[in-house]
Amino acid sequence: MANKKINKKNIAKLLGDWSKEFELFIPSKDEGIAKFAKWDGKDTSFLDWHRNTIVPPKAIFFPPVEEMFSFQKDKQSYHIELPSSDGQKQLIFGIRPYDANALTILDKTFKDTYEDPYYLPKRKNTVLVGLGCTKPYDSCFCTSLGGSPTDSANVDLMLTDIGDEFLVEGVTDKGRELMSMSSELEEATEADETRAKETKEATYQKVTRQLDTKDIEEKLLSSFEIQDLWEEIAAKCISCGICTLLCPTCYCFDINDELIKDRGTRFRSWDSCSFPVYTKMPMENPRIEKWRRVRNKVCHKYEFYPMNFDVIACTGCGRCVRQCPVNWDITQTLEKMQAKVQSG
Amino acid sequence: MKDRETEQRLRREAKALLEQGKVDYIIGFETGSLKFTTTPLITKDKDSVDRLIINPFIVNNLSEYLTELKGRVGIVAKGCDNRSIVSLIQDNQVKREDVVILGVPCPGIIDLSKVEGLVGKDRDELDDVTRDGDKVVVTVDGEKKEFPASEVLFDNCLGCEFPTPQEYNILLDESSSLVADKTASRKGIETLEGMPQEQRWDFWEKEFSRCIRCYACRSICPACFCERCFVEESEPQWIAPVPRWQDNLIFQVIRNIHVAGRCTDCGECERACPVNIPLRSLTKEMYDLVDDLYHFKAGMDKEAAPLMTHYETTDPEDFIK
Repeated sequence: MANKKINKKNIAKLLGDWSKEFELFIPSKDEGIAKFAKWDGKDTSFLDWHRNTIVPPKAIFFPPVEEMFSFQKDKQSYHIELPSSDGQKQLIFGIRPYDANALTILDKTFKDTYEDPYYLPKRKNTVLVGLGCTKPYDSCFCTSLGGSPTDSANVDLMLTDIGDEFLVEGVTDKGRELMSMSSELEEATEADETRAKETKEATYQKVTRQLDTKDIEEKLLSSFEIQDLWEEIAAKCISCGICTLLCPTCYCFDINDELIKDRGTRFRSWDSCSFPVYTKMPMENPRIEKWRRVRNKVCHKYEFYPMNFDVIACTGCGRCVRQCPVNWDITQTLEKMQAKVQSG
Repeated sequence: MKDRETEQRLRREAKALLEQGKVDYIIGFETGSLKFTTTPLITKDKDSVDRLIINPFIVNNLSEYLTELKGRVGIVAKGCDNRSIVSLIQDNQVKREDVVILGVPCPGIIDLSKVEGLVGKDRDELDDVTRDGDKVVVTVDGEKKEFPASEVLFDNCLGCEFPTPQEYNILLDESSSLVADKTASRKGIETLEGMPQEQRWDFWEKEFSRCIRCYACRSICPACFCERCFVEESEPQWIAPVPRWQDNLIFQVIRNIHVAGRCTDCGECERACPVNIPLRSLTKEMYDLVDDLYHFKAGMDKEAAPLMTHYETTDPEDFIK
């Protein structure tokens, strides 16, 4: 199917058509912070807003807190009830390329390693409509991780800003099906295609933060025992959970039961390897020192994940750099590490 | 211009402290990796003190690091940070002789979120933001815009009572000329106080529904120095470790009581919160209550007993019903 286009004025109508079939999520600032929220049927304020959300869209698939099952004591045994799933089809509109890439990275854990019964049904029921960036932040570095601010690789349908309109590209069958569900889309002209190409090239150049990821796994492996280096890197970290909880590829969770008499619920909720209690066990805590936790966080993303899945668990979205209250910067950390390893 | 001179003096003093072996570490600020941002510099290296800076963006309360560093520390402290250090001394967490306080009289710190709101641009799109007395000059697309400092300083700075450090080894500059605006500083609280109770409850339900339990408010707070926090206790379990609004609210209520008499209104909890929960509306209210009820201001006297560890027979008790 050839590419199409839509005038920005008609976006609400397009979303209206899709919302007949899907529960729709859009980038919203409605509650004081930017996150993906259910569409209210009219809000198109995201059209004037070109940056990323603070809470990543992973929260739609892997929420901060989620019921796993409930249980009730029944004489000598327990009766277990799984949360009901309505199988509602979802559509995320305006997901940024690095966040869509992050979902592909999360799939390695939640789909390929084992089939996570909470994440996967939502993932399978969701179509992703990507929206290319036009104004990357100074914290963005997606181009260093093989991405681009207008990359369509991990979405079903891709939108590129070409002025008053978006160029609409069907990437997967699911995406092309979306195109046929609305009469608001028009055929794209050759001029539209040219403008989209120019926008893509220009935006790529706007990502100025660079990180050299060549041989990064090997370099991290050689740096592992250099305690001085990791102590220096970790010095200003305050061990909060911002960089990990807001990371679109971090997936650690904690499990807790809540009991009231004979009834209970088991929850899972976001957890962070930055917390000192994260690895606390009855007799021992192997990462009691801060530098060990910081080293683990960096190595998990840039060494262990690529060893296991052939992909770095970072998409360069820059949230960890931008939201850190002490400006701990993973790109500076990795530069420092590489300089140390190279100097021997 | 004044910052440059203070900065030069700071570098000289810090270098001398390290060279003469009077301190093991220097904690100060250096240029951050994002536009206008500063970042803590914690160093043993006398050459890296040349990276120390003083500017209108040195926001962190560096006393946060004192309890984890072993040895003697030279620390850059603004008025509120200085009180946090004294409070830590009062609580026996830090020894006075182990810190060399490099006091910086503080004219207030610029809140970039306020600047962003006023000019309608994100911080990385601004050419420059400078302080000029009681004004802040913002340059956008080559054009200069002036704002009264009271419109762009952090709320807690506007309510600051002691911008110049009282307890120091070296004072790096003359006392500061802070632009205070006590009314603006309490604006959020006044709005909340004006609400009927039910509406206030709804407000906090909405605010705390966003909390993701990153604990940045706790991690960044110098007064939160406990090695074991009640949040992680499982026997008994005081609150559920899951981010639900009711538990999130209880977490903050208890945290507030724990830091009462220790909180110096440095505003770091609210600034660190990634989901913009107006935490200072709680901490500042507690700060004022402590002052009204017990005539106690945190971190003013290193010899004074901490508020929560002693009582007097004349203490008010009419709030106990």
